[in-house]
Amino acid sequence: MYDVGMTVFNGLAWAMATFLVAAGLTLIFGILHILNFAHGGFFMIGAYVSYTVMIALGGALPLWLYLIGAMVAGVVVGLLGWAVDMLVFRRLRDVDDAYSLIATYALLLLCGGVVQLIWGLNYLGVMPPPVLNSVIFLGDMFMPTYTIFIILCGVLVYVGLELFIAKSQTGRLIRVVAADPWMAQLLGLNVKRIYLFTVILSFALAGLAGGLLMPNQSLSPELGGIFLLQAFGVIILGGMGSIRGAFLAAIVLGLIESFGVYFFPQYPGIFFLLALAIILLIKPEGIMGREQTA
Amino acid sequence: MIDYRARFRINLAIALCGLAVFAIVPFVANSGLVFLAGLVAINIVFGLCWNFLFSGAGLLSFGHAMFFAAGAYGMAVVSLRMPELPFFLGLAFGSACGALIAMIFGYIALRRASGVYFAVLTLAFSELIHIYITKTTFLGRNDGLVGIPRPTIDLGPWVLDLTSATSYYYFIIVAMTIAAFALWCFQNSPAGRLIQAIRQDPLRTAFLGAGIRGWQLTAFVVSGTIAAFCGAVMVPFTQIASPEIAVWTVSTQPILFTLLGGAGHFWGPAVGAILFGAIAYGTRAMQGLSDITVSVLLLTVVLLIPGGLLGLWQRRRRKAGGRQPGQAGDDARPGTAAGKVEARQ
Repeated sequence: MYDVGMTVFNGLAWAMATFLVAAGLTLIFGILHILNFAHGGFFMIGAYVSYTVMIALGGALPLWLYLIGAMVAGVVVGLLGWAVDMLVFRRLRDVDDAYSLIATYALLLLCGGVVQLIWGLNYLGVMPPPVLNSVIFLGDMFMPTYTIFIILCGVLVYVGLELFIAKSQTGRLIRVVAADPWMAQLLGLNVKRIYLFTVILSFALAGLAGGLLMPNQSLSPELGGIFLLQAFGVIILGGMGSIRGAFLAAIVLGLIESFGVYFFPQYPGIFFLLALAIILLIKPEGIMGREQTA
Repeated sequence: MIDYRARFRINLAIALCGLAVFAIVPFVANSGLVFLAGLVAINIVFGLCWNFLFSGAGLLSFGHAMFFAAGAYGMAVVSLRMPELPFFLGLAFGSACGALIAMIFGYIALRRASGVYFAVLTLAFSELIHIYITKTTFLGRNDGLVGIPRPTIDLGPWVLDLTSATSYYYFIIVAMTIAAFALWCFQNSPAGRLIQAIRQDPLRTAFLGAGIRGWQLTAFVVSGTIAAFCGAVMVPFTQIASPEIAVWTVSTQPILFTLLGGAGHFWGPAVGAILFGAIAYGTRAMQGLSDITVSVLLLTVVLLIPGGLLGLWQRRRRKAGGRQPGQAGDDARPGTAAGKVEARQ
């Protein structure tokens, strides 16, 4: 019982951390149909920005300052997203899929280079705020408060995004553009502006995820790639562009990964990839089928 | 009609010129540069075989590191654990490892996936291989296999001593020239042209009676085998096979070479690989600068000059010197803006 509980808990932790990164990724794919390699890079920049904010404020911080640090990261990266849409994404509309994939890879490389230039190659890290640096015992299970906090954040972001897309005026417009950009344009919608808004939102989510997940990582310029692969798996399995699909896929893959590691502890990281490959073979369109952006 | 004999001669001449240029390097440069040139020569063929898959067969692979690593580790295992076997058997074994992996994963990935899905599936497979290597004691885990000897080859009357870095360098450039030209020959053989036809219009080619998936798999295996051969040739040169060559950023190297040099041309990746080597050498003092230079160049190429450097050069030449029928345009492939324009002419 203890083992099952802990394994599920670890799986959920993996799932929500990955979902935080994948949320913005799937949003951009749903609307712009660009698989954004650079997402991992901007996630990393978010982590570094929030690290800088926290160091500037003096290291071990109360919870609300840590949250503000993550917010700042979200805003900064969101602004970067504005620039990226203007300079790059806007020009990728008529380009072959393979080429736009490669263009976003170039952006990822750029992020890595800039991070090396500004923050250097050394591993950096800060402690989570004291409130989140303890452990809760539940029966004989021990659960780090930081992990619980990340799981909560993942659920909050998911619910927030779902509500935003389903209920708000802007969310509806986004769905319209995702369904048929040409018709939306004919109806007089400013499609370009909705694209821009989507990109900024997605990048801000990447930055926020970076800020939130930062205390758990040692920061290095390779950070971008690690989460990116997991997030790719999640959005592909979730059926590209579906937020609900990404959320479910994150949980499925997280549980498979943590149970796999429980039975074969010498191979961490391999089960999520295996599961991804096998599920895609059986059901290539992902678990949410053809549904887009819901 | 395309005069394939003339093209054969021209491309053989290009390959031999490349060989000659690389052969001069040890006379004019220090050992550090010779080492770099050897790696660039390997990267050229690595890029060429990736582009064969991309421009020739229309498959975007983000997992070529797994073939490269398979070849490297195959070679390393043979030369460390079975030193009595001849050197060429090691090369063959390494290449066979790559071919086997390409066959298995290619069969799975091509069954369902296409386009972006195919790219990400290859990425996932490649990461599987990477993790497998870092967790397997037989393959040295995170430390890799070190101290791989350079061979002496017994050719009956002669004995080729390749134990010094310079002599092995000459072996590399000869092997790479042969591999590159063999790839050119395959791409322009009837089979290679059929694969290109599939890339341009799968449906019509299927109507002509070609088995699409079988030929795509063939292209994948050929490309994987040559990538593995590159890895196998590299290992005795650097004398180490480390898990770093299986990381997914290695898979993106040939993509960079190809796009910088020009995907629409057979020798495009070669230009890109040389340029890339020069950038890495020029910016080696400043961490991060080489990534920034390469990425800005890559973005410029993708957004502004989709034909790459060779495409740019050809367009210039055509504007300046008028048309050269059967020469300039027929290498271009559709898919890029420049390729589309050229295909229409």
